[in-house]
Amino acid sequence: MPNAVIIRLEEITKLYGSGDTEIHALDAVDLLVEQGEYCAIMGASGSGKSTMMNIIGCLDRPSSGRYYLDGVDVAGLGDTQLAHIRNRKLGFVFQQFHLLPQLSALENVMLPMVYASVSAAERHDRAVEALQRVGLGNRMNNKPTQLSGGQQQRVAIARAIVNRPVLLLADEPTGALDSHTTQEILGIFGELNTSGITVVMVTHEPEVARTTRRVIWFRDGKVIHPHMAPAQIGQVA
Amino acid sequence: MDIFESSKMAVKTLTANKLRSTLTMLGIIIGNASVIAMIGIGQGAQRLASEQFESLGPNVLFITPGKRETRSRTFDLPKTLVMQDAEAIATQVPSVAGVAAQRQTQLPVTYRNRNVSALIVGTTPTFLSVRSFDVASGRFLSDQDVERNTRVVVLGPDLVDRLFGTTNPIGQQVRIKDVSFQVIGVMQPKGAFLGNNQDEAVYVPITTLANRLTGRTSPYGLDLTFISVSARDEASISEAEFQIANLLRLRHKITDEDDFSVQTQKDVLQIVGTITGGLTAMLAAIAGISLLVGGIGIMNIMLVSVTERTQEIGLRKAIGASQQDILVQFMIEAVILSAAGGLLGTGIGVGGILLVGALTPLQAGISPVAIALAVGVSGGIGLFFGVFPARQAAKLDPIVALRSA
Repeated sequence: MPNAVIIRLEEITKLYGSGDTEIHALDAVDLLVEQGEYCAIMGASGSGKSTMMNIIGCLDRPSSGRYYLDGVDVAGLGDTQLAHIRNRKLGFVFQQFHLLPQLSALENVMLPMVYASVSAAERHDRAVEALQRVGLGNRMNNKPTQLSGGQQQRVAIARAIVNRPVLLLADEPTGALDSHTTQEILGIFGELNTSGITVVMVTHEPEVARTTRRVIWFRDGKVIHPHMAPAQIGQVA
Repeated sequence: MDIFESSKMAVKTLTANKLRSTLTMLGIIIGNASVIAMIGIGQGAQRLASEQFESLGPNVLFITPGKRETRSRTFDLPKTLVMQDAEAIATQVPSVAGVAAQRQTQLPVTYRNRNVSALIVGTTPTFLSVRSFDVASGRFLSDQDVERNTRVVVLGPDLVDRLFGTTNPIGQQVRIKDVSFQVIGVMQPKGAFLGNNQDEAVYVPITTLANRLTGRTSPYGLDLTFISVSARDEASISEAEFQIANLLRLRHKITDEDDFSVQTQKDVLQIVGTITGGLTAMLAAIAGISLLVGGIGIMNIMLVSVTERTQEIGLRKAIGASQQDILVQFMIEAVILSAAGGLLGTGIGVGGILLVGALTPLQAGISPVAIALAVGVSGGIGLFFGVFPARQAAKLDPIVALRSA
């Protein structure tokens, strides 16, 4: 039995500007990502990978085309419905962590469940579980400023997985970390993927992309290599 | 996300930046405190004035010379309200119980080497019953004193303290404008009336005042400052007012405008009410403006806060907050700020009222209506001035918001 399709993009186009200054940030992109995959989106800056990330993450809407996320057509949804989708089906990890400084690690992880109207007791239990899963069970009550960069990114990962998303999206998740911490964080992504979570990561670092199992290469708003093996990086570009 | 969660989050955010939250609330605190204190003090002033007029005595009417609107002009015209008018009212108006003619002036009173400027009230024995005064010791002026221009005085208790100290004043001689008077009595304390301490007054026979101290100044007879009249009962006040006016018009041979005015206690209370009511409204308006300024302060800080927290808003949107969630969150922060400011301001306002009440005779009322109004209005102000910043926050594009590092 084939794996369920998590992301199905059909002729997704994103235009910026109009008339003579019109720019095709994405130009009729077709893409399939199945359940359990671990992909890296790569490409030069301006190649459309960030726009792709925003559209996959339901933070932005395509100008045309269809996008099925976990079987749901999300291209035509309104703001409130997209917020609901982001809350229930997606988990985000950002380069700058984006933790709320006034909240403890535990409270930061609980935040997505607040918007999902999960009961307080369940919120607490699930947040503790998620923090233990990223190896931060002992620093739960620290504020983000009391944590190292790597620890902060672990909190962010815990926050991303706490609502049990179908897709974990990471935007340069190791961009602000040193090489040792980068390995640790990538290790966590690997473990999460092994446990069944689909991971899509945007990166420009070949070493990071090599830890994934599939590279999707963008150039000029188009997918030029939808199924590149990580080992092949460096042979293109 | 429900309101309870939003409120908890808002409190957390606001307490994370206590100094700023307090400063933001300051405008509302001051506005609220002043609304409550001003309205309370205004109402207290109104009540104090009313009480003082009511203390004048029951069912009292006042007859003053001159038209109500042009009273100041009567200083230049011959004074037409005279002793004979008072006597005519007493004998000819059936609804009147008592009449007390009063002629007043300010003169220095001397006892040995002590000198005090005092209000000299020339009057008749009926003054006591009409104005509800009483003597504490000795006796008041008698009819014979008035008939014979006797040089006797009755002193207010505060004046006795100032002139005599602990000496018993009865039987002593005081001098008013180089005329020697014998002290025959001391009045009971009555308190201040519209800022005048009635307990510092000096009472002399009205004839003695006119003939020995001030001299006669009107061609019509012994002219008066005013006549106090007490009606038989409350029901006959308007009757008395009408009869007195008719009698005086006849006596003064008036064909067009009256040269006197008859005012009932109710008229006076109404005038006082109008003045203090206007004062209260003005104070409340000023306080209301400061409340408005406080609200604008909240809007200002909330706008700064939205700009500062752009990344937070972007992150919240990314993890599933809808526009409405963000709107509600910022609205609640604004409402909590202004409502908390409102409550604190109320506390300070009530404290101020209690302090004024403890230090002055002004018993300012703590008006529940004013409190409800002030807290309600400040909550409303939070709501009103919170909408704009909250909408700004809600409309932020999450991509742009997240990128603004």
